[in-house]
Amino acid sequence: MSTTPAAGGEADRREPLPPLDSPPDAARRPRRGWKGWVGVIVPFIPALVPAAIVISVAVTLVNASGLHNFGWGFFLPGSSANPYGVAVEIVGSFLTAVPALFLSMILGLGIAIASVVYLPTFITRVLDPFVDLLAGIPSVVYGLWAFIVIAPIFGTVINPWAVEHLSFVPGFARSIIPPSPTTAGTGLPLAIIVLTLMALPITTLLIRDALRSIPKDLWESGLALGATRWEVMRRVGLRTGSRGIVSAAFLGFGRAIGETVAVAMVIGVDARFPVNVYDVTSTMAAFMFENLDSAESHPALLQNLAELALVLLAITLVVNLVGRRLVSHIYAGEVAGI
Amino acid sequence: MATVLDSVTYPHGLDPSDDLRRGNTARLRWRTGFDRWIGYLLPLLFLVALVPIADLVWYIGKTALPTLTFTVISSQNSFQSYNALGVPLISTFYILGLATVIAVAFGLFGGIATAEFLSESAAGWVRMSANLLAGMPSVIVGYFGYFAFVLYFGWGYAIIAGAFTLGFFMTPYIFRTADLAFSSIPRPIREAAYGSGARPVQYILRVGAPIAFPQILTGVFLAMAIGLGETAPIILTVATNVAVPTNLSQGATYLTYLIWTGFQFGPHSVELTLAFEAAFLIVVVVIALNIVVRVIAARFRRRLEGLYQ
Repeated sequence: MSTTPAAGGEADRREPLPPLDSPPDAARRPRRGWKGWVGVIVPFIPALVPAAIVISVAVTLVNASGLHNFGWGFFLPGSSANPYGVAVEIVGSFLTAVPALFLSMILGLGIAIASVVYLPTFITRVLDPFVDLLAGIPSVVYGLWAFIVIAPIFGTVINPWAVEHLSFVPGFARSIIPPSPTTAGTGLPLAIIVLTLMALPITTLLIRDALRSIPKDLWESGLALGATRWEVMRRVGLRTGSRGIVSAAFLGFGRAIGETVAVAMVIGVDARFPVNVYDVTSTMAAFMFENLDSAESHPALLQNLAELALVLLAITLVVNLVGRRLVSHIYAGEVAGI
Repeated sequence: MATVLDSVTYPHGLDPSDDLRRGNTARLRWRTGFDRWIGYLLPLLFLVALVPIADLVWYIGKTALPTLTFTVISSQNSFQSYNALGVPLISTFYILGLATVIAVAFGLFGGIATAEFLSESAAGWVRMSANLLAGMPSVIVGYFGYFAFVLYFGWGYAIIAGAFTLGFFMTPYIFRTADLAFSSIPRPIREAAYGSGARPVQYILRVGAPIAFPQILTGVFLAMAIGLGETAPIILTVATNVAVPTNLSQGATYLTYLIWTGFQFGPHSVELTLAFEAAFLIVVVVIALNIVVRVIAARFRRRLEGLYQ
């Protein structure tokens, strides 16, 4: 609308300008009809799909579980309604995931520091994608390789040596469950090694991203003060990148504890507490994976499995929630599928 | 001689210039020597990560290649009695293709809507939910598929149940790349489109989609690579089938299922031979897809940088 007064009679027929102190144009905006609301709401619907899937997974598992039957007593075996119990699997999951996370964090820190600080760019440009590529190898392939290649090494070399020479150490004595020839070498150590390899690309990638995103000024002011590269790394780099490193630990743990098929192949799924380090035991994911077939005719076992699934779901949701809140962007992770 | 440095206190007990100033050559030599040697040792850790994977690829290739011929790949004999991969390969294409279509249908529009229409805080929540879904273990998604599709919907152990389960599993990857692709389109381009009167749909189709397409393609490839290697969601929801399935309510044999069976039958069985052949094919395809994803992503990043100039 023109603000300059026009000459002639036509200017008089125009709508007068609103006074300057009139309320903002909210009052003059046409009211939003139902069609307007469609335009606002419809774009939201596809955006809610992931949340809807997460919620429906949780609801389905709660419905399928026996929580309403035997409450929270499902952790321990013994009651007539619930002869199975899930405590072994929960303990087994933590017994494998925590050492694997520890190892892969140490290795990941070392590799990331080497890649960011010590190695020249033309080498890291080649090596880093290889490490990221490890995240893409399917877990069932890892499991097959570990079962065929690594398990015999444990079964014929390492475990007998440990029984012979380390049996005075508690936990290294001769196993009360003698291994069968086909499963020799499977058990906790093999599962820990496989999980370490599988969590390694995630921890390495996230730590590397965290260290890379530290401003260059910080590095160079440390170096200018006379500190060595290692000292700058330890006192400036690790502190500044600590959020990324902690998130690497969380996400690596989420990966390790949720890993299914590879662990089911190498841990020798057996619902007993391990006595020695080389005993077979079970984890939540592996037990769930192996026992769904046999649970079809046992409603109580099926409910138990659904409860295990709920426990695992709760753990991974919390771990991922915390781990992803710590880093605002995971850019390279989009390529590696984290 | 007192210098101004003497009045500086270092909170962590570190005074880097101290050694040099006081002529403490022993400590200086230790520090620089430690730095040099750790620089030699830490890169060796790359070997810990890369030697197992090299051995994995080498061993699987060595075991699979002598028996893997074109006849094996194309033969539609029953894989349970012969060394034949034709049926599982075709079944895998069916299930993975269907799952990809489902995942794109669920993920693509959501990702675009999140990037384009949602406020910053709402988009944060939606992204978090997609991340949670991506972090969910495959066995849980498989259980969900079993309880929801196989039992509750009564689809049975069918392709359709497996495709939906796998599709749900692959959704967040496509969702996130679509979101990322559309949010990384430079703001000036967006504003130019809207400023010259484009409607949101016009902007998305004519301006956004051509720019974001490569990145979305990387998401689809990545999701396919992940879906191809998944075992639990498929085994828990699809029955095996010795023949090529003819409709969606039949079972079908996924490639990873062969690996699991080979593991169960153990050494010196035809199943293990099949398992290694399947593993070889899967590893080759997954690595190829990952390399394609990296190449496209790198080109996309360069192109975005070009758009800003």
